[in-house]
Amino acid sequence: MKYKNLNNYAFPDKEGRFGEFGGKYVSETLITALEELEKVYAKVKKDKSFQEEVIKDLNDFVGRPSPLYFAERWTKKLGGAKIYLKREDLNHTGAHKINNTVGQVLLAKKMGKKRVIAETGAGQHGVATATVAARHGLECIIFMGEEDIERQALNVYRMKLLGAEVCSVDSGTKTLKDAMNEAMRDWVTNVEDTHYIIGSVAGPHPYPEIVRDFNSIVGKELKIQSKKEFGKYPDIIVACVGGGSNAMGIFHPFIKETKTKLVGVEAGGSGVKSGKHAAPLSDGKVGVLHGMKTYLMQDKNGQILSTHSVSAGLDYPGVGPEHAYLRDIGRVEYQSATDQQALKSFHDLTKTEGIMPALETSHALAYVNKIAPKLSKSKTIVINLSGRGDKDMFTVAKEDGMTL
Amino acid sequence: MTRLEKVFNQKETKNKVLVTYTVAGDPNLGSSKKILNDLIASGADILEIGVPFSDPMSEGPVIQKAHERALKKNIQFKDILNLCKQIRIKNKNVPIVLMGYMNSFLSLKNKLAKELNQAGVDGVIVVDLPYDESKSFFNNLKKENIDLIRLISPTTDSKRLKRMLASSSGYLYYVSLKGITGAELKNFNEVKNKVKKIKSLTNLPVVVGFGIKDAPTAKKMASFSDGIVVGTKIIDFIEKKSTPKISNFTKSLKKAIN
Repeated sequence: MKYKNLNNYAFPDKEGRFGEFGGKYVSETLITALEELEKVYAKVKKDKSFQEEVIKDLNDFVGRPSPLYFAERWTKKLGGAKIYLKREDLNHTGAHKINNTVGQVLLAKKMGKKRVIAETGAGQHGVATATVAARHGLECIIFMGEEDIERQALNVYRMKLLGAEVCSVDSGTKTLKDAMNEAMRDWVTNVEDTHYIIGSVAGPHPYPEIVRDFNSIVGKELKIQSKKEFGKYPDIIVACVGGGSNAMGIFHPFIKETKTKLVGVEAGGSGVKSGKHAAPLSDGKVGVLHGMKTYLMQDKNGQILSTHSVSAGLDYPGVGPEHAYLRDIGRVEYQSATDQQALKSFHDLTKTEGIMPALETSHALAYVNKIAPKLSKSKTIVINLSGRGDKDMFTVAKEDGMTL
Repeated sequence: MTRLEKVFNQKETKNKVLVTYTVAGDPNLGSSKKILNDLIASGADILEIGVPFSDPMSEGPVIQKAHERALKKNIQFKDILNLCKQIRIKNKNVPIVLMGYMNSFLSLKNKLAKELNQAGVDGVIVVDLPYDESKSFFNNLKKENIDLIRLISPTTDSKRLKRMLASSSGYLYYVSLKGITGAELKNFNEVKNKVKKIKSLTNLPVVVGFGIKDAPTAKKMASFSDGIVVGTKIIDFIEKKSTPKISNFTKSLKKAIN
């Protein structure tokens, strides 16, 4: 399928779908909570004072707008297209994740919820949730896979310092998907006083829409900044895709701007052909998990496969339903980068630009590393530099054979 | 009359229905079959057989582990269908209901209803398929006379309930608490009132499940419903490798509810 005209692109539809994807595949107990969330969100979306409150927090608490930075030395080194970085790594708490939690915590308060819960993989969403919970004085529980707790010890400690309780999840593969299962179990038990702050454009409707909207500030700023910086919209925008929130945030305002090519980069792990990866859009099948219909890594019996990626934040067998739709209509191109390619780009950017990217983000960099030299110098590429790499020191050191 | 209708028709004799839940292939296929036959022999009226899934989001720790044990034995959907066939060969009357998650059922694509029918399955419960998403799934099952058993929860309001009842069959499964399987059941009166409310709106039988772990609770729950579902406690015996105790436990429940 190839898109024809995107002028009327307005998803999700009334059923919470993006084409065949999305929906609300949850247990009956959660339906009421989702309907309430849907209702409240529809209201605040049009509520000027609520939106102003979000913007105020984004400016004064998060530090937006994030700069658009010309990576001059890296551009020279690659010798092709001009490369710009949208500096989400400079946000408070170090990643794009805070854009969403700042908004969702205000939603939670609007609904009178006293307690927030969240799942986290790399810990960035957990930290971003714990941060806004501290700021608003809400009780906060973060669910995190046992394996991720080990590889992201710094973020675990940050969450605890912020007053959150970190619950170790030792079921299944002990990573992000299992943390999400556990968060769902908590939510269904405490649905009356608890708001579940999902951290990606995933999960049941209306989450993919809510998380996208709160993150789309990134793409909206880029529209203004790119015009100012180089007089037009970027030729190519590149972002890494796990669940897909940073990518959707920067892509969404550009969906109708079809002259701008959009590229999402999945975690190729040891290589898509090896089967050891986390790239459902490159090598997955349509199914239902965590409340949504989307592309999933699964076997022929519908069992969800364990994923592999050097970056905890991309280590997820599914992807947001809007990405699934944008893939099918051909509006966004999805590629993958391996662990090794990502690690190389991590080092390259750190040494060339003095910017240490998150390992998740490094996958987007790896793709650009490959294509930029082949493009003319008149072309511009913008990468969503979704997070900073401080949290990844232990992983990188281990990969490099160092002990800290 | 379907097998499910027959079981609940005994209502005239005021017999309450005992529904048991175990996971297919836990701890392995052979034992699973033996446990199911023992359950029938000791009084189970309906067998709910869990389809093991890698991400059983609505289950408490006991049933989660049962899913993991079954998956370790590499149980495939075709094994589960075979298991149902084998039960059916021995017993023509006991209704078999498969309970699982949407992704497992999707894996059979458009062959699902036919395969279920051929295996002697009477109904399906899909934990993560709420009414809103179930229209085509419901219609496909109906073609082969398979009932889609609806879960109703404490948070389901009457308006929604009425809409759901319009496309329900078999029986209704009232989830007695907000939470996961095996959780602590706290408020009897709330359950009672809700079940009464449901029964005032439909002629379909209503069974109560989640959190029923002993005979006295079973008795109380059965007093205002058409039957009860017990899962976690039975699986607890399997986990503790004391499956011989399952029969006596089942008998005690059966006695308590009638």
